[in-house]
Amino acid sequence: MRLPTGQISRLGTLKSLLQRFAYLSLIGLTGALMLVGKADTVLVERARDAVTDAVAPVLRVMSEPAAVISNFVNNLRELAAIREENAALREANARLLQWQSVAQKLETENKSLRDLTALVPEPSATFVTARVIADTGGAFAQSILITAGQSGGVKKGQVVMTGEGLVGRVMQAGLYSARVLLITDINSRIPVQVGEAGNRAILAGDNSLRPRLLFLGNASAAAPGDKIVTSGDAEAFPPGIPIGQVSRVDEGVVEVEPFVVRDKIQHVRVADYGLAGILAQEIAAAKEK
Amino acid sequence: MQATLLQRMDGTARRFVPLGVTLILMLFALTPTYIPGLANITPMYALMAVYFWAIYRPDLLGYGATFSIGVLEDLVAGTPLGSGALVLLLCQRVVFHQQKFFNNKPFGVIWLAFATVAVGAGLLRWLCVGLVAPSGFTPIGQTFTSILMSVAMYPVVGWFLAKSHMKLLAQDA
Repeated sequence: MRLPTGQISRLGTLKSLLQRFAYLSLIGLTGALMLVGKADTVLVERARDAVTDAVAPVLRVMSEPAAVISNFVNNLRELAAIREENAALREANARLLQWQSVAQKLETENKSLRDLTALVPEPSATFVTARVIADTGGAFAQSILITAGQSGGVKKGQVVMTGEGLVGRVMQAGLYSARVLLITDINSRIPVQVGEAGNRAILAGDNSLRPRLLFLGNASAAAPGDKIVTSGDAEAFPPGIPIGQVSRVDEGVVEVEPFVVRDKIQHVRVADYGLAGILAQEIAAAKEK
Repeated sequence: MQATLLQRMDGTARRFVPLGVTLILMLFALTPTYIPGLANITPMYALMAVYFWAIYRPDLLGYGATFSIGVLEDLVAGTPLGSGALVLLLCQRVVFHQQKFFNNKPFGVIWLAFATVAVGAGLLRWLCVGLVAPSGFTPIGQTFTSILMSVAMYPVVGWFLAKSHMKLLAQDA
């Protein structure tokens, strides 16, 4: 059956009207989603958990080739520099042996002093190791996804690190995957101690590779090369986790170069220090005695 | 002659190629590259795919698909929900409206037009995220780095997209 031309053009108009309506509805929906995301964070967080869990297996497979290539390139690079590295390692080993004897001496001394003061021991941590499957580094958010979630004992707020130092904190934990907020993210605020003097400050990310120190009494209290470690204030992080060192002090702005090299993170450790909770119990137990 | 069931299934599957390719590029943007210095500037891969299909196959990647990809990206990447989808939808609309301009244009022009779209997309995303996120506006310098990276990567990604498009056309014929 053939439709008269007038009818066809009317159908066309209707179709384009419908399309425009659908488009405007979708635009409206994005606006609504933005408002929901601002107002009901719990709902959005649950949606993120579920979707991240669903996408994690795909990301896991997709991240494999890049990891293999990176490892291969690293192997080649290491092979090329094997002689120099061997010499450097020998030297480092000699130096470390010296430090080992110092550490042993200090440990004995520490133990006897602890016995003297009847110090309540700090709770020991349990660790979960996970692989990094996504690095959502963009101009707007700095986080990584890892292959461990609630089923592996990972909970929101736990501390994430590598052998070099602090990576960040678990921001959201799905069943099988978790999102880690990196210390470089603009939302990251970590109480830290600066240098040997132990001046307190807040390490704030700004989405660049080098976070900055805020609320450091005066900027002259920090000098390039000063080590930055967590201070343990606010009980979000245990004290003494290495973070990085001051790389630049310029007109009151103190930049920190993290020890953890972002593009080399393949595996991380999620540490459960059971912070506040266990401490409170131990204090209660000590009071009962 | 009526198409066999297999042919019909093949036809349906082919219609999903643009969506599939865009989805893969979106996820590719999230996978760690382990390239020194590149970890914190990811090009806008999903935008490249949406732009490409909007020019060459507007019939196969509609507004609904683009919206879903944008929302999925926001959910997985941890960016404010809705911001990615809004930017992708607006860019797609702009390209749809300029269909005549893009007709039979050499690659250089398409690339230049992408650069314009990318600047608009980057700035709009920066504005949306800044207005919605609790942390406020992010430093704009990184947005520009991301725009530059996207423009620089477009020929590579465009080549890959063109290859998948050729495959589609070859089967269409």
